[in-house]
Amino acid sequence: MTGAVALKAAYIVVWVILLGYVAYLVGRYRRVHEEMKDLKRSS
Amino acid sequence: MKPLNLLFVVITLGLLGFSTYQALFVAPTEQTMGEVQRIFYYHVPSAWVAGLCFFVNFLASVAYLVKRSSNADALAAASAEVGVVFCTIVLITGPIWGRPVWGIWWTWDARLTTTLVLWLIYVSYLILRRFASGSQTQTLAAVLAIFGFVDVPIVYMSIRWFRTQHPSPVIAGGANSGLDPIMLHAFFWNLLAFTCVGIILVMARYRLQKMENQVEAEHAELALQGGVR
Repeated sequence: MTGAVALKAAYIVVWVILLGYVAYLVGRYRRVHEEMKDLKRSS
Repeated sequence: MKPLNLLFVVITLGLLGFSTYQALFVAPTEQTMGEVQRIFYYHVPSAWVAGLCFFVNFLASVAYLVKRSSNADALAAASAEVGVVFCTIVLITGPIWGRPVWGIWWTWDARLTTTLVLWLIYVSYLILRRFASGSQTQTLAAVLAIFGFVDVPIVYMSIRWFRTQHPSPVIAGGANSGLDPIMLHAFFWNLLAFTCVGIILVMARYRLQKMENQVEAEHAELALQGGVR
């Protein structure tokens, strides 16, 4: 692996991990919102 | 999202763009390692944010044990999870940097090993929180967090205490250490940007944890009233 390839790989990995985590949080937010709506309907 | 929070997110995104530009195009190329040294501008700030998150987790865990506050517990959960995300970045970017420079992906030296142990401690903390049931889970998690935090200063000091494969500290590392002023400038922009990203992620995860706690409490209340479908 050359230095330039390693540099690109490292920066891509950082962004993929951070954006992946943001997507995971958004998914969990959506699920909680749905559950809150269900609870309001049932109470 | 509140306007102030939105403004903070927009400023952070601008900072991230600017700091990445500084790292890739403004900072000079390091003479020995070449281009690959620029991983430093993402690798070290990620380690800083991970350490900061674990410190917040430690403080929140102590606060939980003293006050039994659900807010402290939510902050502990949020900071641990975000800390693991940044620690994962450190553990992946490190070997990517090490391969062209050292010729190996991994070695069991003090810094690398203690960082891996740190990651394992906080992953086990998250697993405990996720899968343990019963009223003592939060207390057990807080105790694990307090003992787990002992590894953070060990990770920090490992390259000062031992001669390792990992380079000696270039910042606050003593007489023969230091960075070119332009490199230092780029580094501090990245440190600031990553710290802001860490704060946003912890705030978002904290809010999510509180919403999940609220849903759980409402489910329990409905179950007590016999209103569960």
